[in-house]
Amino acid sequence: MRRFLARADALMNGLYGWRYNPLYHSGALVIALLVVLLVTGIYLLFFYRLGAPYASVAALTAQPWSGRWIRGLHRYASDAAVVAALVHALRVYAQGRSWGPRTLAWVTGLILLFVVFVSGWTGYVMVWDVQGQVLATEGARLFDVLPIFSEPISRAFVGERPIPGAFFFLNLFAHIAFPIGLGLVVWLHVSRVARPGLLPPRPLMWGIIGLLCLLAVAWPVPMGPAADLFRLPGRAPYDIFYSFWLPLARALPAGVTWGLFAVVTLVLVLVPRWTRPAAERRPPPSVVDEDLCSGCEQCYLDCPYEAIAMIARPGEPGGGGVGGVGGAGGAEAGGRSALVAHVNPEACVSCGICAGSCAPMGVGPPGRTGREQLVAVRAFVAAWCLRPGAGVPDAVVIACDRGAGGIAQSGEFAGAPVWPITCAGNLHTSVIELLIRAGVGGVLVVSCPPRDCWSREGPKWLEQRVYHDREAELQPRVDRRRVRLAHAGVAERPVVADALRRLREEVARLGVTVREGDADLQRECDTEEAAR
Amino acid sequence: MTGRAVRLALAGAVVLGSCAALAALSLVPYTAEPGDRAVVRLAWRTRGERVRACRRLTADELARLPQHMRQEEVCERRILPYRLRVDVDGARVVDDLVRAGGAREDRPLFVFRDLAVTPGTHHLQVTFEREGTLGAPGPEEREEGEDVDATEAGRRARETPARLELDGPVVLVSRQIVLVTYDDERRRLLLAPSAGAP
Repeated sequence: MRRFLARADALMNGLYGWRYNPLYHSGALVIALLVVLLVTGIYLLFFYRLGAPYASVAALTAQPWSGRWIRGLHRYASDAAVVAALVHALRVYAQGRSWGPRTLAWVTGLILLFVVFVSGWTGYVMVWDVQGQVLATEGARLFDVLPIFSEPISRAFVGERPIPGAFFFLNLFAHIAFPIGLGLVVWLHVSRVARPGLLPPRPLMWGIIGLLCLLAVAWPVPMGPAADLFRLPGRAPYDIFYSFWLPLARALPAGVTWGLFAVVTLVLVLVPRWTRPAAERRPPPSVVDEDLCSGCEQCYLDCPYEAIAMIARPGEPGGGGVGGVGGAGGAEAGGRSALVAHVNPEACVSCGICAGSCAPMGVGPPGRTGREQLVAVRAFVAAWCLRPGAGVPDAVVIACDRGAGGIAQSGEFAGAPVWPITCAGNLHTSVIELLIRAGVGGVLVVSCPPRDCWSREGPKWLEQRVYHDREAELQPRVDRRRVRLAHAGVAERPVVADALRRLREEVARLGVTVREGDADLQRECDTEEAAR
Repeated sequence: MTGRAVRLALAGAVVLGSCAALAALSLVPYTAEPGDRAVVRLAWRTRGERVRACRRLTADELARLPQHMRQEEVCERRILPYRLRVDVDGARVVDDLVRAGGAREDRPLFVFRDLAVTPGTHHLQVTFEREGTLGAPGPEEREEGEDVDATEAGRRARETPARLELDGPVVLVSRQIVLVTYDDERRRLLLAPSAGAP
């Protein structure tokens, strides 16, 4: 599934660019489409009559300028919302981002999908055409087996008397009340992330809304035959996104349908449980070296999951450990900051972005702090030098494990050594500096496309650290022309090849870099050569 | 055609294809009830006939109960079941015992059943007959000072007759549903007006 998604991403990136790839913005598109549904729904409400549901919708549909296309937009937007929600869920599942601290987002996402589904169901019943009738009677049949109603609901639809107005009122109430509840669930859905991207980029958002408007005009939604309780429901257009379950449910006893629903729900709710890696393979949460922490708050600001708080430094006057909530600043006390970073392991996804944000290299997941990255990159270059005929490389590729054309674990790409990293945001800029100062011609850092970063904000923070002086910034003495950032999905190896070619051209134009004595890779290579 | 033009054409095709797929999946023709048939729908609700079984608790049983629950006489109330029989053109198609709703069978009786038949004229015979015997009304069912015979008469008048019957031809066109229901006012089974009286 991951491979299929990677190919779809590559295709979409090729056609629309990663900025406007709708697959990357599927979650935000759901929110945008829900807003469209809210606005068009409020408009349609003015024309809906509880006493004559079908006639009022038919009258609205007969108005080409002010009714038909808005009803069509309402319907197509609801369908597109389901598609976007499913794509979003599929991506999160395939990328293994549904467990641990992300469990809340997964479960609330399922609730959101369910609420959207129920809202759509009640919306179709409102029209009271054949589809609405079948959805209502089938729903009644399902609810009648539950011991919650004193009398069977199905009796309302047998035709012995007109459908009570209270039914349409309750249905309308549910159609409005459920979406209102959506706001709360959306808030819960994003409550564990910092700076949630709730809306897609404007060109994409307005482009999709415009397309749906055009679709509603070009392919208007027809009225199905009116509901008739004394006729068997005949052939009619059904919305597969909300009625997909009807053929199966109608063929099965109600109890079996509920059983299937319970099993599917249970399986989906337990996804975080059974996709969670074994304890020994689970990446450890970040830790803070309080001796190194300067209390600058940069990790607290950069953490995409709000897993870091600034607390009073233990042992300092007024300190005492977890419980103090950090604000801005932090007065110096005895040469040490009054505040210190504290990682909540329950909220940390081990993205390592804090390691890239920390100038004194005092925070990060074990094995991936800035200091440990420097040690590792030295060992990596030393290992490179052991290869026959290898010298100081003209370019080094630092590749994100999750994307970057899938080259991260290849060791070498187009003659350039590849150093893998779990997330571009985890990369400490000192690593780039070390490589450049040591004589490497240029460094290419390849991350996932920004809206597809598994750690949410890795490429964004890396770009700011390299080019916009965000802590921990790449030092000014490093020639930026020798550093190139690129974004590539896992199936976009040609993008990496192109970026590397451009970097090499630039490096060739700039000439040989001046090696500095304290970080001379040639010396490292020579040492390794001698040792061999 | 340049690479850029090909890309633009492909991008447009993907957009158009996605829109067409969305619209097509939004309007999938489906027949919920396929086939050329008609339906006789039996659907009604009746209060039924309440039966009581009372007995006096023994001293031991009373002693085991909390003080505030020590009632000397306990009565179990339930609604008597009815036997539903349906014959279509002389063939028995339904012979079921209909029990009252609720865990204690003290809720009304509900009948809701669809019988598929071929379109045309059929002879329909429906009987709904009480099974079991009635008990005597208990004193707590009467208002204070109310006459026992008057209460009993009112109760009998409200409750469902011991036997309900509908017997006659019914004409159904293809895909039509005729409804057999119970008229609480006239206390008899009848066909819904729109179905056409037999």
